[in-house]
Amino acid sequence: MSVLTPAVAPPTTLSPWPRRWRTVRRAVFIGLLVAGGILMTVPFLWMISTSLKTRAEVFAVPTVLLPAIPRFENYSEMWNALPFAAFFVNSVKLAVLNTLGTLLSCSMAAYAFAVLRFPFRGPLFALLLVTLIIPFQVVLIPNFILYRWLPHPFSESGNWIGTHEPLWVGAFLGGAFGTFLLRQFFLSIPRELADAARVDGANPWQIYRLIYLPLATPALATLAIFTFMWSWNDFINPIIYLRDVNSFTLTAGLSLFQGQYVGKWPLLMAGALVSVIPMIILFVVAQRHFVRGIAMTGIKG
Amino acid sequence: MAVLPGGIRAAARRRGPLDGEGRWALLFLAPTLVGLAILSAGPILATLAISLTSWDLLQAPSLVGIDNFVALASDDRFLKALRNTFFYTATSVPIGLVIALGLALALNQTIRGIAWIRTAYFLPVVTSTIAVALVWQWILSPDAGLLNQALGVLGIAPRKWLVEPTLIMPSIVAMSIWQGLGTNVIIFLAGLQAIPTELIDAASVDGAARWARFRHVVLPLLTPSIFFTGVLSLIASFQVFDQIFVLQRPRPTSASITVVYFIYENGFKFFRMGYASAASWVLFLIVAFFTWLYFRGQARWVHYQ
Repeated sequence: MSVLTPAVAPPTTLSPWPRRWRTVRRAVFIGLLVAGGILMTVPFLWMISTSLKTRAEVFAVPTVLLPAIPRFENYSEMWNALPFAAFFVNSVKLAVLNTLGTLLSCSMAAYAFAVLRFPFRGPLFALLLVTLIIPFQVVLIPNFILYRWLPHPFSESGNWIGTHEPLWVGAFLGGAFGTFLLRQFFLSIPRELADAARVDGANPWQIYRLIYLPLATPALATLAIFTFMWSWNDFINPIIYLRDVNSFTLTAGLSLFQGQYVGKWPLLMAGALVSVIPMIILFVVAQRHFVRGIAMTGIKG
Repeated sequence: MAVLPGGIRAAARRRGPLDGEGRWALLFLAPTLVGLAILSAGPILATLAISLTSWDLLQAPSLVGIDNFVALASDDRFLKALRNTFFYTATSVPIGLVIALGLALALNQTIRGIAWIRTAYFLPVVTSTIAVALVWQWILSPDAGLLNQALGVLGIAPRKWLVEPTLIMPSIVAMSIWQGLGTNVIIFLAGLQAIPTELIDAASVDGAARWARFRHVVLPLLTPSIFFTGVLSLIASFQVFDQIFVLQRPRPTSASITVVYFIYENGFKFFRMGYASAASWVLFLIVAFFTWLYFRGQARWVHYQ
């Protein structure tokens, strides 16, 4: 391989082209990639810049790229315009509950499908996979009617509408994606481990708890991150089920904010930024899990 | 602990479906079974039942047979919703896949700082569509929006991207491709990295040109990844809603309404549960049909090793 790039031996370095050509091609590639990367980032940078501008700067022609003096008051103004602190707490609460519920119920089902033998295992798993393909909006109306019918001791309506419960209880009742993901992972754990434990007298719960769960930590972490993200970014469910502004999530609150502060771009951008920062931090911290999760489902699909 | 003598292992296995293993399975599956019955599989049938009624949630539902479906067929707003949704699928899915494939090929190399570039491409994926749509609404805004300002520098007249009927859907498609690119890129990258180096080396030794190597070695081996991202994008594209809600406030016109927005509007604004359920079933049939078609067609172009 080339002397110029001694550290490089990736699978796609396929070219038998002359060295000079490769250097040029590489430079063009990198240039395009960086340009594309910047293009991908522009909306974020624009969001940050706008959130610190004055009203005059926002509508100035020609466009002002950066505010003369960053106006941080926009953030406190945004934060106090609506109960954003409550939105934040609600989003965190729902994301945590959804993550816990999904990890628990999906890992249990995945263990049954991967390890236990029982009648109708194949057809049941197939049914679960079918629900993976069905858009959840198809069951939106029966679900709404169900939650409207279920009694709730603490809600004003007497049923589950207007409470947080419809937004997380379902997570404790399994899920096709998580079950599928974890089952694939469980299948890669050598059966001998379970067999040995069984000979030693362990019951299936102990095998699940003490062998399968600890070994599946990477897959569980991946599922946790994805579930957290989906819950955090969910929009249609909060706007359907929540009534009182104080119970809103960040997505629902942001939408309400948009309706009330039309054209006040600095405040709207500040709100948008505050709502996405936790996800960006999570992504940067757990980037490897994100990438592995998507890749894992991609290959096994 | 890991390796047992063969005899014991065989004995352990020979016990077959253990006494009570079925009961254990029931315990482990209990949450999932309840969920299937009342939240996912069961409600699909419930949707069908409700679609045969007229029901405003206040009075008892009354059976109307297939009236809702007949009404849908001549409801202009629903037909426009179908057209817009098909347009969204037919543009965002193929364009998104092609761009992602090109990007994955470009990103599949070891350059210093590549992790940062990958992060940039992936950032929109973790961001909520609501926040993304808010930013794009601002970028596309007619008065002082970034896009019109940039086009102005090039001497192009400003447009009302989210108001002019012919521009709304293309604008929303562009935004959605931007947002979803990262997911597809990562699946393609994983697929690329799973291609055995020997195969590519062998083709190189044979003197295959770059394009020929891509066309006859890399691309066929990547078809499972393409197939998978295709399914994901296809199913997700029929569910487009959040973007429309934010970018077409207070209510999308016939130029931008989508099927899921139609369901939302009828079910939760007008409380026409039967009508909305009928639209849900049409959506279900469409997604099922295209998914089936897509799976049926895979033998022709997907190569599994």
